[in-house]
Amino acid sequence: MAENRHVTLKLEGVSKSFAKVEADEVTHALDNVSVTMESGEFISLVGPSGCGKSTILRLVTALIPPTAGKVTVNGEEVTEPSPNRGMVFQKPTLFPWLTVEKNIGFSLQVQGKLKENQHKVDRMLKVIGLESFRNDYPAQLSGGMAQRVALARTLISEPEILTLDEPLGALDAFTRMNMQDEILDIWKERKQLALMVTHDVDEAIYMGTRVLVMDANPGRIVADIKIPDAYPRDRSSESFVKYRNEILNKLHFGGKHEE
Amino acid sequence: MKYQPLDSTRNKPSMEQMAQLDKLTRQQLKELEERQKTPFQKFLDLVIMLLPVVCGLIAIGEYHFVPNNSPNNNPMTYMGFLIILVSLYVLYFLYAFIKKGMGDKTVHDKLLYRAPLFAALFLLLAAYDYLTLKTGVLTQPFVPCMNYIINIAWIDRAYIIECTLHTLRLMFLGYFIGVALGLVTGICCGYFERVRYWVTPIIKFLGPIPTSTWIPIIMVVASSLFGGAVFIIALGSWFAVTVASMNGIQNVDKDYFEAAKTLGATERQLVFKVAIPHAMPSILSGCTQAMSSACTAIMIAEMMGVKAGLGWYMTWAKSWASYDKMFAALFVICFIFTAVTKALDLIKRRVLRWQIGAVK
Repeated sequence: MAENRHVTLKLEGVSKSFAKVEADEVTHALDNVSVTMESGEFISLVGPSGCGKSTILRLVTALIPPTAGKVTVNGEEVTEPSPNRGMVFQKPTLFPWLTVEKNIGFSLQVQGKLKENQHKVDRMLKVIGLESFRNDYPAQLSGGMAQRVALARTLISEPEILTLDEPLGALDAFTRMNMQDEILDIWKERKQLALMVTHDVDEAIYMGTRVLVMDANPGRIVADIKIPDAYPRDRSSESFVKYRNEILNKLHFGGKHEE
Repeated sequence: MKYQPLDSTRNKPSMEQMAQLDKLTRQQLKELEERQKTPFQKFLDLVIMLLPVVCGLIAIGEYHFVPNNSPNNNPMTYMGFLIILVSLYVLYFLYAFIKKGMGDKTVHDKLLYRAPLFAALFLLLAAYDYLTLKTGVLTQPFVPCMNYIINIAWIDRAYIIECTLHTLRLMFLGYFIGVALGLVTGICCGYFERVRYWVTPIIKFLGPIPTSTWIPIIMVVASSLFGGAVFIIALGSWFAVTVASMNGIQNVDKDYFEAAKTLGATERQLVFKVAIPHAMPSILSGCTQAMSSACTAIMIAEMMGVKAGLGWYMTWAKSWASYDKMFAALFVICFIFTAVTKALDLIKRRVLRWQIGAVK
């Protein structure tokens, strides 16, 4: 299978503000954020609610434009959503009127590339282990299965950048741990640039090659921690605990103050 | 596959059945989990299913043996009608049992569910006959008995069929024009802010006017009454479908658009592959509503102006005091509208089969 081209994603002095619904005021979701990310990285964005984690993903996928600054991929500014920058949402958002198979093929179909790529759909069904559900509708799937289909639906276009907005947030603990490994396996195959938003510090460390710790009011990156440990990682290992404490400290939840 | 019966009164699956559990159908699962019926319950089911036959025989007996209060020509017509109905039921009954013998219980269960209603229908026919022909509590010929109605419908069949075709042509022409235009305006209004800006005031202004109000105006303005009636029916349908599809599209969850955008959908595809399918339940209920408004409009149009069709036939029969013809037309109208509604319902179920399981 062909490798994706190498991409460098840059946020250059990006700010994003939202108008409040009632008062004539704005909230600053992101304030002058600059960061560079490369193919091969799995980046976990972790932080409290309102720190602009999801906003970063929505800027990268160009679902919303930045208020100031720019987002570039290999030097080119992003302006329109594209299947090259895929997104998996917290809710699976599967199209309920399409079968599992057609949901997965949706991206290829709208691009007019489904006919010659039917084998990719079949392969994706195999990867997520839902071949026998191919003709079922999303209403008949469990939460974990639906999220797997959503992942497959995004991955089918082989995105250079894969963004995941709390993809496992709505799942139970066991399904969640299984899916963390599944996502990592999928990522290891192509080593695309992955950006994942999560509330869960353990998940961030378990999965990420790099953790961006963010804080709110205004939203900004407060720490950029590289995690070079080999996969699969041991959740109780010494270095894991060390990373956890470091991140919790940055978020002002630390038990052990090192500073 | 693990299967543990909760209590011993249920059918315990054998090893062979256990091996087949993986490919159970919905029906088989239901049967497997159902409590086994006692012989008494089984007997009761049989009695219920035979009830329509008994009631049918009661209706026939009532008609045949109770002396008439009014003169009755061609008495065998209604008798034949009853016999045909009972025979149809008996055929249905036999079919259900043959199917059950072959292992498919669905027809049987449906029959069991419907049997009381069929029985009630026969009792209703008997009661109606008793009140009209036999005792005259409902005076003849103002409320004619079934035998009169069926006889006149048969005698006047050529004309009734002609009127029916005229009604259907008028109704479907108006309905389809209205629905087609309604879909276009509704979808555009739902999706494009600009279009909504211009169209909403028209809807708000014209919407509350009852269809019948237009008829006198149309009769003056329109060059042909047929065209005028089509316009009235189309207007009512257009309104219902426009409002329903506009609301349907406006209520599409923003998340679906976002997901579709990141998957590479163009603006056009967002409309046709996301907004419209998502709004389909709403659009179809608009179509059903449009049909009921079309049914009302056509009857009013035919009774007030158009010189053909079943509505006209009814007013015409009334002016000649042929009440039996009036009732015959009424039954035909009732039959047509029921059939049309049923057809729409079937279409709806087919198109919306993805909703099965979603609405619990």
